[in-house]
Amino acid sequence: MAKSTKKGRIFIAVFIIIAVIIAANFFQKNIKSFFYSFSQPIQKNLWAAGKSSSDFFASIFNAGNLKKENDNLNFKNQELLANISRLEELQKENENLKCALGVNLQNDFKVNMAQIVGKDISQDFILLDKGAKDGISKAMPVITAQKVLVGKISDVYDNFSKVLLISSKESSFDAQIREREVSGIIRGKGNLKIFFDLIPQDKEISAGDIVVSSSLAGFFPSDLLVGRITSVKRNNVEAFQQAELNTEFDINQLANLFIITGRQ
Amino acid sequence: MNLLKISLFVVLIYFLALFQSSFLVHFNIFGFVPNIIFIIAVLWNIVENPKSYFGFFVSGISGFVLDVFSSHTIGFYIIILLLISLAIKTLFSRYVRVPFNQNI
Repeated sequence: MAKSTKKGRIFIAVFIIIAVIIAANFFQKNIKSFFYSFSQPIQKNLWAAGKSSSDFFASIFNAGNLKKENDNLNFKNQELLANISRLEELQKENENLKCALGVNLQNDFKVNMAQIVGKDISQDFILLDKGAKDGISKAMPVITAQKVLVGKISDVYDNFSKVLLISSKESSFDAQIREREVSGIIRGKGNLKIFFDLIPQDKEISAGDIVVSSSLAGFFPSDLLVGRITSVKRNNVEAFQQAELNTEFDINQLANLFIITGRQ
Repeated sequence: MNLLKISLFVVLIYFLALFQSSFLVHFNIFGFVPNIIFIIAVLWNIVENPKSYFGFFVSGISGFVLDVFSSHTIGFYIIILLLISLAIKTLFSRYVRVPFNQNI
């Protein structure tokens, strides 16, 4: 008798837990939105504190590499200065051509600035402090101030939105290497890593190539910086080659992001 | 069960979740961030008296908080942690006797 009562209690407990979980899923957005709303001030401060603390520790651990890094940066700086002067010349030429052709293309976007308030530790998601009330909707691209592609909005709450990072395993989109006219698909590997897939075997690509987004499938606007190729995997047996990429954004350095809400 | 103990535990887990999702993410170990709430829930069930039911409550609350601050649907971590609690309690009450968890 006592045994059957115990079994009955366990059955009721399991039933209640399942019922509560199912009910919670119907109000999932409201529940999460409620928790995010009153956690936001604490999360913002914790994010800022975490960022500055990690910078501090990183500077201690990397003190030995600072000189080497400084030399590299100086070298890159010189390279970039040379590029800037070349690009300035090209810009002038471009503007002259536009005037001559009567074309007035403006590629800037309508953006909404948002702050990161949290990150899912097990998956490549971040939480932003802008939501449906700020005009944010699902699938809007998220970029940095330097037009580096970070991800797209996957869930929208009233005052918050979740961003699926391009490094998430659920993320894939068209991309290209402009200089080499190579197109392929960027897939997330998880843990802030991405790879460039479906590149035809006859196309030549190498480490250091810069990959930008392509508007072919309409997921993202074109020419947003995705990353730089670190290694190429070529296998003659397979129809396509693959390349490993480093994202151009560092999640620990990000504070403000821009959600593209439309074109200007 | 002491109401104060429960309230304190809920507040602690909530703040740990905030700490984990906004502060600890900056300090990864080889790209991974330790899930401290998950670890605490599992450890609690290990050190607790196998006959106590508080471990299930710990798992349920920890799972709920983890679900809220993760991209999973609500129930994902709750079910995982409750099953882990059940497995630990079954193991410790039927097959393993350890001195440290008999009086907690």
